[in-house]
Amino acid sequence: MLRTQPFNRYTWAVWRRQALVWRQLIWSSMATNVANPLLFLFAFGYGLGAVIDRIAGLSYLEFVVPGMMAYSAMFASSFETTISAYARFDLQRTWDAILATPVALSELLLGETVWAATKGMLSAISVLVVGWIWGGVPSTGGALLSLPVVALACLCFAACGLAATAHARSWEFFSYFFTFWVTPMFIFCGTFFEIDRFPSFVQWLAWLLPMSHTIAIVRPLMTGLPLDEGMAVIHIAYLLALTIAAFLLSVHRIGRRMFD
Amino acid sequence: MPIISATNLQKRYGALEAVRGVSFEIESGACVGLLGPNGAGKTTTMRMLMGLTRLSGGELKLFGRPVDGVARERRARIGLVPQDDNLDPDLSVSQNLHIYGRYFCVPEAELSKRVPQLLAFMQLEERGDSRVMQLSGGMKRRLTIARSLIANPDLIILDEPTTGLDPQARVLIWRRLLDLKREGKTLLLTTHYMDEAQRLCDRIIIIDGGEILAEGAPTDLIDRFVKGHVFEVQKPIPDGLLVGPAEYEDIGDSILFYTATPSQFAGGLPAGATYIHRAANLEDVFLRLTGRSLREG
Ligand SMILES: Nc1ncnc2c1ncn2[C@@H]1O[C@H](COP(=O)(O)OP(=O)(O)OP(=O)(O)O)[C@@H](O)[C@H]1O
Ligand SMILES: [Mg+2]
Repeated sequence: MLRTQPFNRYTWAVWRRQALVWRQLIWSSMATNVANPLLFLFAFGYGLGAVIDRIAGLSYLEFVVPGMMAYSAMFASSFETTISAYARFDLQRTWDAILATPVALSELLLGETVWAATKGMLSAISVLVVGWIWGGVPSTGGALLSLPVVALACLCFAACGLAATAHARSWEFFSYFFTFWVTPMFIFCGTFFEIDRFPSFVQWLAWLLPMSHTIAIVRPLMTGLPLDEGMAVIHIAYLLALTIAAFLLSVHRIGRRMFD
Repeated sequence: MPIISATNLQKRYGALEAVRGVSFEIESGACVGLLGPNGAGKTTTMRMLMGLTRLSGGELKLFGRPVDGVARERRARIGLVPQDDNLDPDLSVSQNLHIYGRYFCVPEAELSKRVPQLLAFMQLEERGDSRVMQLSGGMKRRLTIARSLIANPDLIILDEPTTGLDPQARVLIWRRLLDLKREGKTLLLTTHYMDEAQRLCDRIIIIDGGEILAEGAPTDLIDRFVKGHVFEVQKPIPDGLLVGPAEYEDIGDSILFYTATPSQFAGGLPAGATYIHRAANLEDVFLRLTGRSLREG
């Protein structure tokens, strides 16, 4: 059903629609995607930083900046392809309108996904900049190197959110999504604590979530901790595979819901 | 070469057969009305033409080519006015047109020209900067029609373009549709207003229960099914009238007689009979073919 669709001009048209709406609502968009993670960063940087002395050989601020960066990327990307996208799908019927044009479903959904990842990147970069100014980023080069990984992670979170939207029958569905998907990634995947502090079955679950794999690469890069290259490849491969699988599943499910 | 050539179109939703074997052709430049009661399958048929709903069976050719695999080319040449407005509430009126044009890859310079033209065409030029939410139902409908024209389509499919509008707005839309027809566009529309169909359409297709009941020019259908003239005779019906040659239909407290020879029929009516004589219209055809009972609810 899905013919291979690269990011073409139809996908670009969808992306630009999102960007235009975002620009018009820039202040409220900024509040959720930039101010919100920064508040978290300050709370944890000051609050926990005062209590926790060193963690994994780093100051707590150095430890938590990569975690917050990944978290803000995850939250913004996931929100965009779930709550926001579901509104366009179900309430506003924007997708119906777009599908009556030459834009194909896979192009529409790719545009949504890439846009959501764009918002995720925007959040991540603002956390990075503030963290860097604050002195929480030991390796500037590593931080820049981590950005493509964060971009892949954003695509992955966006695609997973889209897969949830593909199965949503009402708004209530998303409370499950946030409780059982977003919150565990916030808590168990190494954002504030190392994963190995948790019991082993929790660790095992944590490694199923894309957030763990993101942080496992981003934190060593940004802090200068050693990064096992072989493991890095595995983390990236996992993110990539999950992105593709979630995206294809979304196209398939949403196609059946809309066209059958 | 017909622009649309549908053969035995079928659509099933689970056990429900929404469209069961509909075949028709639409010539380039024609204005065709698809009429039918609620739930007849009009919207479903249109969605199949647009590729917004998969066919459960049948064959469809658009612009002379089988539709399989040419979804993009087909949609590029068709403008759709859906039954329920789905304008983009996050955008202003003129942005709705501009952004929609981008989905068709209309060049930006071209869009900057066309958007004000279309706003003027639909008498919305004052409202370009309004939000969609601030528009009345009639303005939304006009904007949806303007939007369907953004990529200069050859075929325009309009699903109840005038439902819920006041007479002024309907007249404006009729005028615009006739303008489009003069430009050589092909129109396929549905409506529940029979006067509208009679006024606009060269050809009518009446469907019910997912099947075509009749097809032809409005005057043709009137001659064929209701003979051109109607006598509505109040009960009690004078003796002998029911065994006469005129076809009739009992509608409760009166009976409708259909006749092609009104003076002869009137002459046969006894003095003192209470009746109304009028020219038959498309509504008579519609009610005669689809029955008088309520469909839904
Ligand atoms: N997505 C759907 N799922 C299930 N049944 C559907 C769906 N869409 C339409 N139907 C059913 O198919 C039949 C035809 O519906 P359709 O919308 O085509 O009718 P219509 O002629 O456009 O009616 P109206 O004049 O009320 O708009 C109806 O019985 C309707 O309930
Ligand atoms: Mg309908």
